[in-house]
Amino acid sequence: MDDKDFKTRLKIAKKEFLKNNSEEKEKRGLFMGSAFRLGTELVAAVVVGTIIGFILDNWFGTKPWFIIIFFFIGVIAGIMNVIRVANNMQKKD
Amino acid sequence: MAANPMHQFQVYRIGPEIKLGNFDLSFTNASLFMLISAISICLFLYFGSKQKNIIPGRLQLVAELFYNFIAKMISDTAGSKAKPYFPFIFTLFMFVLICNMIGMLPYSFTVTSHIIVTLVMAMFIFIAVTIIGFLKHGLKYLSIFVPKGVPVVLLPLITIIEIISYLSRPVSLSVRLFANMMAGHTMLKVFGSFVISLGLLGGWLPLSFSVALTGLEILVAFLQAYVFAILTCIYLNDALNLHH
Repeated sequence: MDDKDFKTRLKIAKKEFLKNNSEEKEKRGLFMGSAFRLGTELVAAVVVGTIIGFILDNWFGTKPWFIIIFFFIGVIAGIMNVIRVANNMQKKD
Repeated sequence: MAANPMHQFQVYRIGPEIKLGNFDLSFTNASLFMLISAISICLFLYFGSKQKNIIPGRLQLVAELFYNFIAKMISDTAGSKAKPYFPFIFTLFMFVLICNMIGMLPYSFTVTSHIIVTLVMAMFIFIAVTIIGFLKHGLKYLSIFVPKGVPVVLLPLITIIEIISYLSRPVSLSVRLFANMMAGHTMLKVFGSFVISLGLLGGWLPLSFSVALTGLEILVAFLQAYVFAILTCIYLNDALNLHH
């Protein structure tokens, strides 16, 4: 009887431990995934903005202007992307 | 040769040269390692799902683990509407994961450390998601570029910003995977060459770094495959359920 009691307790404890452990690990993985996202998200928007500016400049022959404008728009887009990802991270938490 | 850390990324031809018009379709070491990854995935899943026991064996357990992992990820991020896209996302995840992992073996070649490979996958996802969005919602899909509750004065600027951020998706998706894999492997090689050049006396420190880095790289290999798959799910979610 005592033996049985111990076994059930051990089972429960094991289940509890496994649950906590896996959830914790999953969460950490999710956060690391988001962390990897943040940096490239910023850079990619700036790059895409600059490329669009470059193409528009070549089309219209207005050499530096579109590239300057779209560089800054790209920076804004990148920052907005990062804010969006960070908001999602907080929501999950 | 050993001193150059970028040497490991060189693509060279194996076997005869095959040309189709202007395109070079020769079999390279990159194709070889893609083939190896694809074959090992097929073998793994074939033997993993062959026996169908109620109490799974080791291989079956791992195969079911991957299946559940992806199924849960899709239902968590993209909802039940994304179920039909499970095979695609599962294939994508497995391919990136196995390519990254095979790249961790000594003397092997990391396919995902080339931007052309990751860019093709990212562009495919980007174009497919855009087409799915237009098919499901018609022209209403364009409303993702116009967020709600923005004053009319700012609307043109915000729309341009949204378009840029939409176009930056394939770039960030491909650059992340490529940069992480290439940087990691270069670093491993650099520390490896430090071990040789510092010799028996001072080589122990970079060696221990190398060991730690190898562990980190395996983590990164898994995490990047995971991020690649989950971002595909997020983009798919935007296309299927039209609201931010």
